[in-house]
Amino acid sequence: MTGREGKQAYPVARVGDFGEADRLVVQVKNVEIGLFKVGNDYYAWRNLCPHAAAPICAGTVCGTMLPSGVYEHEFGREGEIVRCPWHNWEFDLRTGELLADPSVKLRGFELVREGEELHLLL
Amino acid sequence: MSDNRPTMIDTDVHNSMTGKQDLLPYLPKAYHQAWLAYGAGYGGSYLGTGAHSVTRRDARPDGGGPPASDPNYVIRHHLAPYGIDYAILTGSGILGISLVSDPDYGNVIARAYNDWLADTWLKASPRYKGSILINHSDPQAAVQEIERMGPHPDMVQVIMCSGSRNLFGQRMFHPIYEAAERHGLPVAIHPGTEGRGNAGPPTPSGHPTRYFEWHNIIPINYMSHVNSLVCEGVFEKFPELKFVAIEGGFAWLPHLMWRMDKNYKGLRDQVPWLKCKPSEYIRGHILLTTQPIEEPDDPAHLGQILDMIGGDHMIMYSSDYPHWDFDNPKVALRSIRRELRQRIFADNAIQLYGLSEKPGEGASV
Repeated sequence: MTGREGKQAYPVARVGDFGEADRLVVQVKNVEIGLFKVGNDYYAWRNLCPHAAAPICAGTVCGTMLPSGVYEHEFGREGEIVRCPWHNWEFDLRTGELLADPSVKLRGFELVREGEELHLLL
Repeated sequence: MSDNRPTMIDTDVHNSMTGKQDLLPYLPKAYHQAWLAYGAGYGGSYLGTGAHSVTRRDARPDGGGPPASDPNYVIRHHLAPYGIDYAILTGSGILGISLVSDPDYGNVIARAYNDWLADTWLKASPRYKGSILINHSDPQAAVQEIERMGPHPDMVQVIMCSGSRNLFGQRMFHPIYEAAERHGLPVAIHPGTEGRGNAGPPTPSGHPTRYFEWHNIIPINYMSHVNSLVCEGVFEKFPELKFVAIEGGFAWLPHLMWRMDKNYKGLRDQVPWLKCKPSEYIRGHILLTTQPIEEPDDPAHLGQILDMIGGDHMIMYSSDYPHWDFDNPKVALRSIRRELRQRIFADNAIQLYGLSEKPGEGASV
């Protein structure tokens, strides 16, 4: 099937495939891609940290300390962050941005849900 | 640009008393005996061979007394020959009063010194600008001293020794920064007390053996304080505060910035109050003085280091007169590109200390 802007749509998973998992790793055209479930939304990020080429999908999906006043610690955003397994860089799973420097981003792919099917546009 | 704009400001000149008796008129009687017996009381320096003198042998005033104890002679011997418009005075042999075990003693000496400074050097010439000495071991008293002396028109910063029992970012020091910021005064630190008095040892692995070894490694204390100030959020809490790192070198700064920025990417959640990269806080709030300027075998490397720091507004010229490792302004900065050199010689200090006009009447002797 051909998706938007002439991109090819690849059926990569069914919603039910996640079970209790927060991510699935799939391969499309020899590229490893992580599918992440954040709340009721799904996102696709290349399984490669832009810093040192770590397999980002092996990282922890977690929350983090929110921007705060000095000496305050407020935890939030549970399930919205992936923490790289190598150097602990935190990426926003909704935008792909590095929390410490939003100019650094994961490489993302468009993912569309058709009923129970998730299609990756490439 | 106005012809009356200063062209050179020396940000580290060590004004000295002629002797301990100079302080007595400013010191409560209860402390006279102790002052005459112990002086600043924070212990001796690291040993060399005895051949080395901390003060320049050519700097003794022609009228007698210790080097830099005669304000008029310092103008004739140092300021006038080099075309220095202003000297920021940093004291001599007294900064370590933060490191005596008796805080009351440190506090009264700081007060007496500041009164003596205001009454002597700051009246001697408008070329002299003072630093308010505080006892950082007693932050509450330090704040009182900043409140007392802050309004003095010729006091341009707060100064404390860099030797300490605690890193300067820690919250016990925040009242000092709050008071300094409120008075529009930068806070400066000056080395020389590392490992002396009741400061911690100059390295985490203890004491260097000789003065040479001790002097080489002073920058690690500076790195530790700058690191602490940024990580503890001091510049988030006090966004107008400027912090002056006197005489601690600057070539180490790119390393520290790079290391902090790298770690921040992975460890940001430990300091969620930081809103930008650590190096940006450093560039925004830390100033450093040049002396003793690093002297690489290839002088061009110094300029490269300054480019790596990426903050032409951050560096200010200092001579350390009358100390042995004096930097001659006509020689020490020659390898630095011209426009940056001018910023270092004057512009950065003009901006920091608000000295936009050359000194007025009475400036020459």
